[in-house]
Amino acid sequence: MSIINYASREIQFKIVYYGPALCGKTTNLNYIHQRINPLNRGDLVSLATATERTLFFDFLPLNAVVIKGFVTKFQLYTVPGQVIYNATRQLVLRSVDGIVFVADSQWEKMEENVESWKNLCDNLALQNMSIDDTPCVLEYNKRDLPNIAPVNYMEYVLNNRKKRLQSFEVISSTGQNVFAALNAASQILLHKFSKQSEAPQGAPLPVAIPVEPNSPQAQKLPA
Amino acid sequence: MNAIPVLTIEDVATLDGVLGDFLKKTESELTVVIDRGGNVISQCGDMDAMDVTVIAALAAGSFAATRELARRIGEVEFNALYHQGNGKHMFMNSVDDETIMITVFGSRTTVGLVRFYSTATAQNVANVLKLLRRTSHGLKFDAKDISAAPVFADQ
Repeated sequence: MSIINYASREIQFKIVYYGPALCGKTTNLNYIHQRINPLNRGDLVSLATATERTLFFDFLPLNAVVIKGFVTKFQLYTVPGQVIYNATRQLVLRSVDGIVFVADSQWEKMEENVESWKNLCDNLALQNMSIDDTPCVLEYNKRDLPNIAPVNYMEYVLNNRKKRLQSFEVISSTGQNVFAALNAASQILLHKFSKQSEAPQGAPLPVAIPVEPNSPQAQKLPA
Repeated sequence: MNAIPVLTIEDVATLDGVLGDFLKKTESELTVVIDRGGNVISQCGDMDAMDVTVIAALAAGSFAATRELARRIGEVEFNALYHQGNGKHMFMNSVDDETIMITVFGSRTTVGLVRFYSTATAQNVANVLKLLRRTSHGLKFDAKDISAAPVFADQ
């Protein structure tokens, strides 16, 4: 967990994009980097192999003024999705404040999604954290592909718990719902530290926030 | 109870004093204290020349990655790391289990001098942080101070 610096009136939060290999974590960060006001972001640092597979992590620092009187710095990280890099995932998760879990909606990736989710829970447990106490949202990514599982099925597989997480249907390559998921994770995270954080959290959440095919976002695809 | 630890103005002044003294003695350019998750706790020196946030994230990763190397030779971790460049160099040393100190320096000084003074400085920083962790009550925000608008906008 980060520290508030009262002299510079700064707070830092760390949000990690977690998920199986090739599910679109880096694509999420690339889209955010392309579309956010350059004044509010730093450089996107990517430690990847020559074939653009994430080797260590991607890192994108963002600034915002969301808490009265404080500059809030969000540091977005991705983890390497490949199974063999678990030690790297553990170190990227260190001091995490919020999580965006990116699941691949394709039928053949369902087992990898579940494995990655279990791996996330295990790695959080190693630092005495639990997914129930950590601000987290789910992204069901690649909703534009033909061979995808229905949202209800993905909810059953990944979000079948007493306190359900907010979930989003996402197409990270075009950016649909990428910002919605990030904003939801940020708000949950911020409210965790508010004096009213014990206030109602048990309200039923809607089934995954759907992609809108004719949304303005879809009209202005990045180059 | 979720609350964020607070570094008060007095704490920041104390850390600035310790780090400023270190910079003066070693003639280094920049020193940054970070937690092992990559968050900046305190910084002192020429901050315009470098993006401290990115340096902190990469340094934390670098420090953690070498733990595995250390284990292969029977160590728990390497207490210090040195990256040598052509004109600028970086020295990183462990402050405590949660914190790392990074120093960037140029040709005006030597790694030996930086290493020598960094030990005592790290101890002083560790003492300040230990006291902070023991006495800090943490801060919670008023919900009405948190903007309800989307934090980030797609432009």
